[in-house]
Amino acid sequence: MKALRFERSLPRFAAARVAGALAPGRGARPGPLRLADIDPPFVDAPGWVRVRPRLAGICGSDLATVDATSSRWFEPVVSFPFVPGHEVVGDLDDGTRVVLQPVLGCAARGIDPPCDRCAGGQVGQCLNITFGHLEPGLQTGYCTDTGGGWSIALTAHHSQLHRVPDDLDDEAAVLVEPTACAIRGAGKVPAGAGVVAVIGAGTLGLATIAALRHLPGELPTTVVAAAKHPEQRSFARSLGADLVVEPDELARAVRRTTGSMAVGDGSIDRLAGGADVTIDCVGSEATLAQALAVTAPGGRIVLVGMPGQVDVDLTPLWQRELELVGAYAYGTERHDGPGAGRPTFELAFDLVRAAGLGRLLSATYPLDRYADAIAHAAEAGRRGAVKIAFDLRNERERNR
Amino acid sequence: MSPPAPRRPGHEVVQGRAPRPGFVLEVDRSTPSTLFHHGEGFRLERLPVGSRIVYPSEAVPVLRHPEEAIRQALLQPVGQDPLPAQLFPGMKLTIAFDDVSLPLPKMRRPDIRQRVIEAVLDLAAEAGVDDVHLIAALALHRRMTEAELRHAVGDRVYDAFAPHGLLYNHDAEDPDNLTLVGHTELGEEVEINKRAAESDLLVYVNINLVSMDGGHKSTATGLSSYRSLRHHHNVKTMQHSRSFMDQHRSELHSSNWRMGKVLRDAGLKVFQIETTLNNDTFPKPFDFLQKREWEWSARDRMAFVAATSGLDRMSNRMKRNLFQSIEAPHDMTGVVAGEIEAVHAITTAKVFEQQLVPVSGQADVVTMGLPYISPYNVHSIMNPILVACLGLGYFFNMYRGKPLVREGGVVILSHPTPWEFHPVHHPSYIDFFEQVLADTTDPVEIEKRYEASFAEDEWYRHLYRTSYAYHGVHPFYMWYWCAHALQHVGAVIIVGGDPRAVRRLGFRPASTLPDALEMAEDTVGRDPSITHTHAPPLYMADVS
Amino acid sequence: MLRGFPFAAPNVPEGVEVLPRKVRRGAAYDSSWAREQPARYARFFIVEGPMRAAVSTLASPTRKGLDRLAGLRGPLIFAANHHSHLDAPLMLTSIPQPFRHRMVVAAAADYFFGNQVTAALSALAMGAFPIERSRVSRGSAEQAAELLEEDWSLLIFPEGGRSPDGWGQGHRGGAAFLSLRTGVPVVPVHLAGTDRIYPRGATRLRPGSTTVTFGHPLQPAEGDDARRLAVKIEAAVATLADESATDWWGARRRAAAGTTPSLTGPGTTGWRRTWALGDRSGRTRPARRTWPEL
Repeated sequence: MKALRFERSLPRFAAARVAGALAPGRGARPGPLRLADIDPPFVDAPGWVRVRPRLAGICGSDLATVDATSSRWFEPVVSFPFVPGHEVVGDLDDGTRVVLQPVLGCAARGIDPPCDRCAGGQVGQCLNITFGHLEPGLQTGYCTDTGGGWSIALTAHHSQLHRVPDDLDDEAAVLVEPTACAIRGAGKVPAGAGVVAVIGAGTLGLATIAALRHLPGELPTTVVAAAKHPEQRSFARSLGADLVVEPDELARAVRRTTGSMAVGDGSIDRLAGGADVTIDCVGSEATLAQALAVTAPGGRIVLVGMPGQVDVDLTPLWQRELELVGAYAYGTERHDGPGAGRPTFELAFDLVRAAGLGRLLSATYPLDRYADAIAHAAEAGRRGAVKIAFDLRNERERNR
Repeated sequence: MSPPAPRRPGHEVVQGRAPRPGFVLEVDRSTPSTLFHHGEGFRLERLPVGSRIVYPSEAVPVLRHPEEAIRQALLQPVGQDPLPAQLFPGMKLTIAFDDVSLPLPKMRRPDIRQRVIEAVLDLAAEAGVDDVHLIAALALHRRMTEAELRHAVGDRVYDAFAPHGLLYNHDAEDPDNLTLVGHTELGEEVEINKRAAESDLLVYVNINLVSMDGGHKSTATGLSSYRSLRHHHNVKTMQHSRSFMDQHRSELHSSNWRMGKVLRDAGLKVFQIETTLNNDTFPKPFDFLQKREWEWSARDRMAFVAATSGLDRMSNRMKRNLFQSIEAPHDMTGVVAGEIEAVHAITTAKVFEQQLVPVSGQADVVTMGLPYISPYNVHSIMNPILVACLGLGYFFNMYRGKPLVREGGVVILSHPTPWEFHPVHHPSYIDFFEQVLADTTDPVEIEKRYEASFAEDEWYRHLYRTSYAYHGVHPFYMWYWCAHALQHVGAVIIVGGDPRAVRRLGFRPASTLPDALEMAEDTVGRDPSITHTHAPPLYMADVS
Repeated sequence: MLRGFPFAAPNVPEGVEVLPRKVRRGAAYDSSWAREQPARYARFFIVEGPMRAAVSTLASPTRKGLDRLAGLRGPLIFAANHHSHLDAPLMLTSIPQPFRHRMVVAAAADYFFGNQVTAALSALAMGAFPIERSRVSRGSAEQAAELLEEDWSLLIFPEGGRSPDGWGQGHRGGAAFLSLRTGVPVVPVHLAGTDRIYPRGATRLRPGSTTVTFGHPLQPAEGDDARRLAVKIEAAVATLADESATDWWGARRRAAAGTTPSLTGPGTTGWRRTWALGDRSGRTRPARRTWPEL
């Protein structure tokens, strides 16, 4: 079976690091990712079924993996070799189209009774992520047993599967998983928030903006979005951001919108007040520092983008009594924020449909052109794209 | 042997022929290329045969004995008692003076203001006046720095008054130091500086660079507050000022005159001093900029080549530092003191004498080379909003009668228009450009939707009062200044500007003048009539 | 061997009438060579080189009121108060162009032109020409007037000598006379601080700071005679002194009220004069180590 497989090989890791440092996404060819012919994955346990991916997205965390820049934190919670790909829309053997919810919680791991998080619907916070009868792996796409989306077939537990309504095409359905991540972030915005700043306008940023404008429940009054590239800015505007600016204009825009004072003589070092909530959908040192500078005292910074190891001065976190919260994956939205009380994935289906997020899928590639696909994904913003995916519907092997 | 005639301390006066008046040149095949100012640089452009070029008149002679002339003006004012008769011990005397926006470029030391203020203070000292305040009448402009105040009033006056807090910048946002004097018959609030309002005599020292300056506008605008200013600094007024350089057809001035009347009726005594300058704008070696191209000497041509090739190799910052250090050799051509309206009539005639150039008929296309400086970027950066304001606000309005460009015609500006702002001086400009102009460029819309929030923004207010920032609402005024032109012209094209910035202004970018003329034909049709305004030095077109 | 005539001066035989020796010193010194081109070049380099360097090291001058001279054409008479030998170099480096390098200094004939060497040095380095301190003699006044007519500006210290006690001395009529005679305006100048650096009778220099304040050129008014104009010049210098010590506005008001502090000090003598000088003398006792060094 054809699959893109990620192997444990130190020289290739090193090569990926070097190539990835030259240009993002260039770690694909020399690195540990290889197109291979492997046995289809199989889990000998009740409830596991074969899923044949139709579309499988390329996520920011995948790119970090390909360039070998992702955090060492993941080392114990992945198992090699693995097939990446966790944004998957695929077919079951009976022809049902499903979207994969990739987190491998207690149910998938055969742990009964489940941990209290899984029991409470917060599968993203599962306490047994490396235990049970599966090899370690926080998600499908990082676990050697389950396979992943960048292949002809993977195996999934029925608790992971969500049926796709017929009126939703594959292109929209493949965005359900990243949208769910964004909703998770938007769900951390407390009710009654005034101004929310969203940093970054890739898939997550744009889906976050859409979430802040379309989710049920009490939404913030104003969304200020910082986007680097012109296409991103027009998407952000059309998805409902009230004010869209370039990244270096964010502080000024937030200041104007909130009417707060600023420190700095005309140019702005930081705001004295600022946004009630800042959602960082990039997760770099620069954006985290910016978030710390534009969030009002007592406000909240939500990390939706995966930060990795960053060097940030946390003094403002302390002095301004900010909350820094992460938003990783899904479960049930149980804060007092938008969409409270409902499963994240359910909200994600609604949001994808309501905001027409299918248009964020910019290009698809066959598995053979994986290096091009990954390079395109890594430079998506600059090249005017948002989401890049592998299209497996036309793979000969699949249709045999 | 009879004693020789006393030598008087005189100023150098250019001997020889009388200054030639401004005129209109028709371009033919033998006309040399024409100079266009282009920000911190110049371009030589070949205008199509048949185009017209309007040249300003040459610098008129200056007063040979300025100090004596000032003293004479103070001792023999028009329509009022001599200044010494109005000064008495124990009185409150306030001297207000124009801010850093005048004259342009800044003049060589000693500044006119210093000369006049020292003369006034000399008389005040003789009369035994103790209570004197000096106020920079800057309305909503940025505060003047110490160096700028020293340049304007001189070190002696600065050192004598500033340390005691008696020389300071007007603060239009200080509720404790403003007085609501009254309302005009149209309900406009008249609110001015409290100290000025409570003085026994207010002496206002003007530099009338252009015909807009002076008159009742000095006090009613220079020393007023936002509350008062908004009645004439708005889109409606500007659209009904045709132009605001022509006092008799300017709604801006009508409003100021109404306010002046309120001030007079409230008992405010103003001793108005107005001074006029010649248009000797550029010192050596830049003096070729005010010569006619066919009269450039070999040295002038060398200076031009050296300047342009040198400037090509300099960073924007270096160029700005170089240009902003220019001190103009212009000097005083007249000084009049006394009752505001009588004084202003004489001054305006004097300004016209230097600046008025008769032009017959309008043109389809008017081209302007914009220089590096406008009233609001002294020691600062000429940002895109100021580029628009200089071209469409000031240069466009330098007319009497009709605009140089016909209704529906095209204005072509030449300026690099960089997307750059001075963060200290122009903080609200940045937000205006990034947020307001990104949304709409229609002055009426902008006024309606955004003015109040900028005018009342606490941070802008803080920066205006404590730092050196223009008031939050100031970029709006720049845009309102363009309102008459935006309503009148069919299209605006900027040659050589940053295309992004030009588009943000709502104008069209062109890389060369021929391209721009080509583009203009889309609006005005084939073979348009073209007029180039060869300024600065400034002139005012008397269009018939 | 090489003794006696012709190697030494011959003796004069008795009974012969000795011709009077031609005196080439004092007021009769002919300094015109110092105004020729070669000497002017040399002086240019002396003034702009070592003299400027020495003045800025020793006296770190602040120069005020130069704007009052802006745009003027020469010639001018600069009349300054006089405390120290430093005053002339300080003035020569402070006077603005176009006057600085077409400048002569009126120097005391008895002091500077007493012998050939100091005479030549003074003429070369400062452009000095001899003038008699005690009286306006025909010769020196004529020469000064001629120089002014020839467009040379003149630096003169109308007090006629350096201050003996830190207080100024009454002005003599030279500057006023020349101004009336030629119509050249007089620029009053006040020098502050040179008395601390190198006062009369000092044996060593104490570097300090100085202030040079230029005033408005004074034009002889209708009906002025030399004495009246001299009084005006003296008052102008006193006002400048006041201005330099306090501020311009205060000085103007005191001048208008006639209460400008006098430069010549109280009419008393002895210690009371010195006492009234207060801190202005700057003559403090040098710090001496009193504790025995062991």
